[in-house]
Amino acid sequence: MLDANNLSFHYTRCDPGETPDFAFSFRLAPGECLAVSGPSGAGKSTLLNLLAGFLSPSGGRLTWLGEDLTDQPPWARGMTTVFQDHNLFEHLPVWINVGLGLSPDLRLSDDQRSDILDGLAEVGLGGLHDRLPGELSGGQQQRVALLRSLVRETRVLLLDEPFSGLDRGNREALWGLVRRQQAAGVAVLLVSHDPEDVEALAQRRLRLVEGRLVSP
Amino acid sequence: MASEALTAGKASPHGRRRLTQLPLWAGLTALAALVGLGLGSLGALLVQAPGISMASLWQEPYLAGVLRFSLWQASLSTLVSLGLAIPVAVALARRRRFAGRRLLLRAMELSLVVPSLIALFGLVAVHGRQGWAAPLWEALTGSQEGYLYGLSGIVLAHVFYNLPLAARLLLQELERAPAAHWRLAAQLGLKRRGIWRTLEWPALKRLLPRLAALVFTLCFTSFAIVMTLGGGPASTTLEVALYQALKFDNDLALAALLALTQLTICLGLWGLALSQGGAPSLAVGDGSAPLGGRWQRRDALGISRLTDTFWLLGLALLLLPPLVAVVVAGLGGLADLAHQASLWPALWRSLVMAAGAGGLALTLGIALIAGHGWLAARGKRLAAGLMEGSGQLILVLPALVLGTGLFLLLRPRLGGGWQGYGLVVLVNGFMALPFVMQVLRGALLGLPMAQRRLADQLDIQGVTRFRWLLWPRLRRPAALAMAYAMTLSLGDFSVIALFGSPSAPTLPMLLYQQLGSYRWQTAAATALILLATVAALFVLLGWLTRRLPRYPLR
Repeated sequence: MLDANNLSFHYTRCDPGETPDFAFSFRLAPGECLAVSGPSGAGKSTLLNLLAGFLSPSGGRLTWLGEDLTDQPPWARGMTTVFQDHNLFEHLPVWINVGLGLSPDLRLSDDQRSDILDGLAEVGLGGLHDRLPGELSGGQQQRVALLRSLVRETRVLLLDEPFSGLDRGNREALWGLVRRQQAAGVAVLLVSHDPEDVEALAQRRLRLVEGRLVSP
Repeated sequence: MASEALTAGKASPHGRRRLTQLPLWAGLTALAALVGLGLGSLGALLVQAPGISMASLWQEPYLAGVLRFSLWQASLSTLVSLGLAIPVAVALARRRRFAGRRLLLRAMELSLVVPSLIALFGLVAVHGRQGWAAPLWEALTGSQEGYLYGLSGIVLAHVFYNLPLAARLLLQELERAPAAHWRLAAQLGLKRRGIWRTLEWPALKRLLPRLAALVFTLCFTSFAIVMTLGGGPASTTLEVALYQALKFDNDLALAALLALTQLTICLGLWGLALSQGGAPSLAVGDGSAPLGGRWQRRDALGISRLTDTFWLLGLALLLLPPLVAVVVAGLGGLADLAHQASLWPALWRSLVMAAGAGGLALTLGIALIAGHGWLAARGKRLAAGLMEGSGQLILVLPALVLGTGLFLLLRPRLGGGWQGYGLVVLVNGFMALPFVMQVLRGALLGLPMAQRRLADQLDIQGVTRFRWLLWPRLRRPAALAMAYAMTLSLGDFSVIALFGSPSAPTLPMLLYQQLGSYRWQTAAATALILLATVAALFVLLGWLTRRLPRYPLR
């Protein structure tokens, strides 16, 4: 269970006791998908950055099954973020982008290299392993990013509008990949404005209003 | 299923791995080496020179004259260089397409790196008493005296070097203006005066104080030009007087006094430049892409046609004839090459030393910038600034002082021969550092935020991060930085003049010897070989890193 307990953040310095700009509390079970929506500036990016460890909270706690993640660096949290774009290293071919999820120092065995090829074929990208990200469509790039999150030991998948601008066919293919993660016990937090994405994936919804999560 | 096979061997991100401190330690080591050797060398000189009297600077006529001339020639050179660079930059920004624009821009970049002795050779061939321009000068003034020696020659040579540099940096600043502003100006139909007031001058005036400080420092510390064209005590600068004190008079006290004076003035100027937002990038060509669009600017019509032609033609006449003269005279002297037994050893010696200096500058530059990035990412801005600023030390500390101080520091152990050349490599490496750092900075610190976060999340650290994420971005700038550093070392004629042996010269030393003994044809061939070597270095290093690497799976 991912448990965010009054996880808060100030954009400016403030005194103890002052109300923080953002304060998030919610729980997310393994295998569950929670959708979060809200207007611009409500704090969606702040929430994702706090969960991923890109921002340090000014208060509160974040735990996974009782393990304190609050001060853990980004790589030790078991979380993978997939953004709307810029999920891949543009100068590295597809197979290295996936391989980095498997081994951060890229020491890959022959078997692992074969597995990368099989994995790519399985998500409909067979034969494209040597392509650079710029040579793929937006949907194909997102598939590579999701495949990489699949090969990491991910506990929580953070999705930041990852299906925006994609056609129906691509989105359905990506939904399938996310559902597979859920089936494997990965908790998913989906930030999306699109009701179809939310409908397809989320079991629960929350809305962000002025830096706080509320029921819709 | 393939994905199960994949997940069976997946990486565990939960192992707490300490963020590598390698960049910090590398930066600290480089900082210690630089500051230690820099300040140590100055200290060594001061210790060896008791009884320095600052008052002699204005009490002794010779020293007062040297100081006055140094300041005067540098001020005049700065004024002329910048005064001409502004209309040239504006004309180049206005005329985005004309035959020869690329050639002119390339020649402007070349002037930054062309060894000073080559430039001098070309200037003498064009502006000397027997030069191409001499008949015109005589017809206009009736004088046979010429204008290349003394103050006018020094200013001309400084303008040859600094006008293109200043114009290129100002042009970059003009091209940095958002394309939307130019579109707006076009829609509003702004004319020459309107564009100058709303777009051009606001962009230029931001850069001018810092640029003036840079050009003044370069002119103030110029050595080979003043030594060659100065022609006597009346036209001597601090740097040349320093050389004479060390080389001929062995007067360490005077050398220390001159070094301290130069250091104080340059530090004051750099302080001023920093207060205005830091020194401008020395590496031209790192600006944003020029604005797109094919419309012609309204201010490009009318009188501008005439004035722009005048300025651009003037720039071409200043830059191209000396470079062409080197090539023409060199081609004529190529037949003599077979008889030059000392040329090829000198070339080889120069190349080996340049490779050493380039490698050293690159290593120090990467270490300092990596350390700066590490500190800046943790909010330690002052320490980060100090680490990066230490790379600029050589711009205020005369290379001759650095060399002499190091010689004094190491004297008990330092023998002759190759050890003296080792010292030259060390000082040349330091001299190239500001250029190298300017070129590398953007690439090393420029990993986009999204990619940095992605790399952090995937736990890509240390060597892997360098190898796979930084190096692909760094390889081209590193090649350019290496070319800059090697070129500066190849053309060095300051430190080598002090520690080099006449019997084992480098290419610039050989050229100087040949010019000194009036072997004009042979010197021309040597200058051409030096110029060709510089050009070949840029082409070769650029070619080696031109293609993006593809990483095949097997």
